[in-house]
Amino acid sequence: MSTAAPALAALLAVHRPDLAVAILTESTVDAARPFDLIQFEAAFGATGRRFGTTMLDGAATVSDTTGRSWSIVTWGIDELARALLIVAGIDRVAPAEQVAWLDGLHRAGITRERQAILRCLALLPEPARFLPIALDACRASTQPVFEAIACENPYPAAHFPETSFNHMVLKAVFTEVALTRILGLATRRSTELARMAADYASERTAAGRSVPADLALVLSR
Amino acid sequence: MKIFDPHIHMSSRTTADYEAMAAAGITVIVEPAFWLGQPRTHVGTFEDYFGSLLGWEPFRASQFGIRHFCTLALNPKEANDERIAAGVVALLPRYLGKDGVVAVGEIGYDEQTPAEDRWFAEQLELAQRFDLPALVHTPHRDKKRGTERSLALVREAGFPEERVLIDHNTEETLPMVLATGCWAGHSIYPKSKMDEARMAALVRQYGSERIIVNSAADWGVSDPLKVPKTVAVMREQGITDALIETIVWENPVRFFAQSGRLTLDEAPSSADSWEGNSVRRS
Repeated sequence: MSTAAPALAALLAVHRPDLAVAILTESTVDAARPFDLIQFEAAFGATGRRFGTTMLDGAATVSDTTGRSWSIVTWGIDELARALLIVAGIDRVAPAEQVAWLDGLHRAGITRERQAILRCLALLPEPARFLPIALDACRASTQPVFEAIACENPYPAAHFPETSFNHMVLKAVFTEVALTRILGLATRRSTELARMAADYASERTAAGRSVPADLALVLSR
Repeated sequence: MKIFDPHIHMSSRTTADYEAMAAAGITVIVEPAFWLGQPRTHVGTFEDYFGSLLGWEPFRASQFGIRHFCTLALNPKEANDERIAAGVVALLPRYLGKDGVVAVGEIGYDEQTPAEDRWFAEQLELAQRFDLPALVHTPHRDKKRGTERSLALVREAGFPEERVLIDHNTEETLPMVLATGCWAGHSIYPKSKMDEARMAALVRQYGSERIIVNSAADWGVSDPLKVPKTVAVMREQGITDALIETIVWENPVRFFAQSGRLTLDEAPSSADSWEGNSVRRS
């Protein structure tokens, strides 16, 4: 199992001790039985109505293999449960098929399923492989999908090419998402991002509109 | 009065419609998968259509404080297209277990062909397997016969009648449906199907039991405010608010709650805001 799985399982057990073990069995991600894709997707789909969408709150954090930790207090309990299923389930899929497997789940996913997948990308083995999924989510107009990759998520700062990262930041400004929610923003400031931010500020001013205050976070490199 | 429009194709409507619907008191809607006017010729387009009904459209609705649920199926018209029918039905098990899916539908008859028989019956089996109710479209042409055949197929399949909603009824088909255990939907249209005054007359004659009203608004000549407009006409004709609310709220809630997935207690989850930041565009 991925290193993150026991931590997610322990956290889920705090919230739902009655279901934390059961979903691993029902989804066939525990090693006791052969991995069954249909049962996995059935359990993955039913997770929302079984767990509800209450936010975790408290002091929940996770860590990836590089030792980086981040808060997941904004995840819903359903997202935690689904993240556990993915982080544990991916090890049951042949390595060469893991990207296609996750891409299929993401493509067929309802909004909250996609959110859960995006939130745990950084916890998966060799996370850079999943860049197309993350970029697809950045193109989404379904705002919660965009926010699941852009906000409280270390993945973009760690893996996005410069153009994609810069456009994600601008899109966050456009959609009134606070830039302080983008993890690692300071490490990805650049001359080009500062230019794009300045041009946007100029466009707003020319239109007689206010300039969002947190644009200042990227106006200099 | 709380209003539920249990049949409306929002994918072909605008945000101005959502705004007007919310202002008129509509808080919950069900969008059945149906055809889109232009025939689809590839199975893959249904994956994207189902994805829209489960992702993008609920988000659009949530921006206006409206809860959006859907029903999924291969519709009766496209059931006749051999290029796609089997492939689309094969997709369904991947989607029918998901949150937000409150029935299998629209299934039923269009031209009452053998292909429609087959896919209607197979999708009723899927509804059984996924513990979902079924939404049954009745045809525009040869409607009476189509309704009879639908009711007969439901009975022969042994599908529980209280979990079936037979839609688009008229004066002639309503008594046939009420004679079974099925629910009866009525689509209030500017020209065809049913109108507000005729609907009020039916309610005065038959009462409210298992009676449901919808707009069935889509990309054609139709009106997303037909449910609130029908409420107004029923009031004018002296029907009590209690009876009206049974029809436009309690009945659709009871029918779709049989899915176990009609979550009306939580706020629309995709409208979450963060520290006062609205997700809406400026």
